[in-house]
Amino acid sequence: MKINNKNLDPPFSLKTIFLIFLFIVFLIFSGQRVGIPDIVERLYESSLDLIGVKNSSRIGEGLSRISKEMWPPVIESRKDINLIIDFNLSNLPLFSYVKMYKDKSFEVNPESLILEEIVEEVQFLVEPLGYLKLVIIKIIESIEIAFWASLISIILSIPLAYYSAKNYAPNSIIYLFARSIVSGLRAIPELISVLFMVLAFGFGPAAGIMALGLHSAGFLGKFFAEDIENADKGPQDALIALGASKWRVLKLSVLPQVMPQYVAYMLYIVDRNLRMATVIGLVGGGGIGQELKGRFDLFEYGHVTTIIIAIFIVVFVFDQISAKLRSKLIGD
Amino acid sequence: MTNILLSVKAAKKQYKGGINALGGVNIEIHKNEIIAILGSSGAGKSTLLKSILGLVKLDTGNIFFKNNEPIIKNFSILRSSISTIYQNFNLVSRSSILINILLGKVAKVSNWRILFNIWPKEDQLKAISLLKEVGLKDINYNKRVENLSGGQQQRIGIARALIGSPEIILADEPVSSLDPETAKEILRLLKDTAKKNRISILCSLHQVEFAKSFADRVIGMSDGQIIFDKLSKKLLKSDLKKLYK
Repeated sequence: MKINNKNLDPPFSLKTIFLIFLFIVFLIFSGQRVGIPDIVERLYESSLDLIGVKNSSRIGEGLSRISKEMWPPVIESRKDINLIIDFNLSNLPLFSYVKMYKDKSFEVNPESLILEEIVEEVQFLVEPLGYLKLVIIKIIESIEIAFWASLISIILSIPLAYYSAKNYAPNSIIYLFARSIVSGLRAIPELISVLFMVLAFGFGPAAGIMALGLHSAGFLGKFFAEDIENADKGPQDALIALGASKWRVLKLSVLPQVMPQYVAYMLYIVDRNLRMATVIGLVGGGGIGQELKGRFDLFEYGHVTTIIIAIFIVVFVFDQISAKLRSKLIGD
Repeated sequence: MTNILLSVKAAKKQYKGGINALGGVNIEIHKNEIIAILGSSGAGKSTLLKSILGLVKLDTGNIFFKNNEPIIKNFSILRSSISTIYQNFNLVSRSSILINILLGKVAKVSNWRILFNIWPKEDQLKAISLLKEVGLKDINYNKRVENLSGGQQQRIGIARALIGSPEIILADEPVSSLDPETAKEILRLLKDTAKKNRISILCSLHQVEFAKSFADRVIGMSDGQIIFDKLSKKLLKSDLKKLYK
C-alpha cells in the first residue's frame, strides 16, 4: 500500500471546526451580556493612565475614592465622652487619654431648609490600641467559629460517610438517603444557608457555626465515603474471614489506609472555614466579617484596612501551621 | 474416621455467566495434615477456599467441621478455629507489624478495645513471641508493614494466622508473589510451624515441586472438578499431565 497523507486522520475534522465556531459565537454573545468588552476597555484605559499617556481612568477614579482613606490603617479607638456612661476623668483605662476634636455633622436648618455643616468641639476618649484590640477579639471569634464549624462537620460527616459508602451502608434505601443528605448539604452555599441559620439561631457566631458546619459536613461526608469505597479490599477480606464485624473492619483495616487523605481533607476544611468565617459575618454570621461590613457601610476605610491586614495575617499563619501539621501527621 | 477436621461435601458453585467454578467437590481434611491443591488458573481453587471461609456462597453442598452441624448456616463455628494466608498478604500496610499480627484476634476482643486500639497484654506478648517463631526476631515491631519486603510481609501474615491458635490454616497461593528462594523458605516455615502446633493446612499452589515437598497430600483440580487426590509420595507424572493438558 502506498502511504500518503490520505491514510492519516486529518488533525481537525469538520465537526471540530464547527464546534470551535459555535464556541466563539457563544463567547461573543455571552461576553456582550456580562460586560467583557467594558472590562477590556477599562483595563486598557487604566494601563494608559499608569504609563502616563492618559490623565485619568475610570478604574483609577473608582478606587481613588477610597484608596486615600484606606491608608494608614486605624488602630486607635475614639469615643465621645458624653456617650460613655459613668465617665470618670480620674480613672482612665491604661494608656488612654482625652483629646478635643472638631466633630463635623450636617443638619437641615428648619427655617431655611438648607443642609448646613455644624462644627462642634467634642472631647473624645482615645485608646491608642483600642481598635486593634477589638479587631483581635473579633478575629479570635472568627477562628472560634471556624474551629467549631470544622469540629461539627467532622463529627457529622463520620456517620454520613459510613452510610453513604456503598459497601458499608446496611441497605440501598439508607445509602440513597445518606447520599441525598450529603448532596443536599453541599448544594446550599454557606452565604445562603447562613440567612436561614440567622432566623433559626439569631444573629451572631451560632448562625455562622451552623451554616459552615453543615456545608462542610457535606463535603467531608462525600470525600470520606468515596475513600472508604475505594480502599484496598484485600485487608478487609482478611478481617471478614476472621469473623470481624463491619465496623471493626472499617476501624482496623479501612481507617488506617485512608487516614492520610482524611487528615488532608480536614485541614482543607479548617482552612476553608477560616476564610469563609470572615465572609459569613457580612450577612450576620458573627466574627470579623460583621465588623468589616459595619465599617465599610460607615465609610471608615482605615478601619477596613486594619481588618483586611488582620485577616491576611491569620490566613497566612494558618497556612504555615497546616503545612507543618500535614507533613507531621501524614509523613512516614 | 474420627480425626476428620473439615469435610466439604458435593460443593457446587456456578458464577454469573455460567462458569462452573465448583462442580460437586468432595474433600476431607484430617487433623495435622497438610494438603496442597494444584491446578491452573480458573480451576476453582480460590472458590473452594473462599467457600470454606464463607466469602463465597455455595449453590448446593455442605461443609462440616468436626462432624458438627453444617457450617453453611453458621460460619462462626469455624471462624474461631480457622486462619487464612493470602497471595498478596492482605496486611494493613499503614499499620504497625504488631497491630497486623494482633488483627488475627480481631473477633475475640471487646468493642472498646477495638475502638481505642488497646490490645490485651498477653496477646501483645504472644504476638512478639510469634515474631521469633516466623524468623523476624530482631525486627522493630512498631515499624509500618509497608516498609517490609514481600517475604517479611508473608512472615507477618503467617504470624497473624498463628496468633488465633487455629486448628486449620487456609492458604491461597501464599508464595506466588515471592521469588523462588523466599517461596521455599516461607513454605518450609509454614510446614514446620504447622507440624509443631498440630495445625492442618489447605493450601493452593501453582508449582508442582513446591506442592510435592510441602504437602502430605496433593489434590489436583481442573474446571471445578477434582482430578486426583493422592499422597504426595505417590504422585505420578501422568497425574500432572491430566491437570495441565
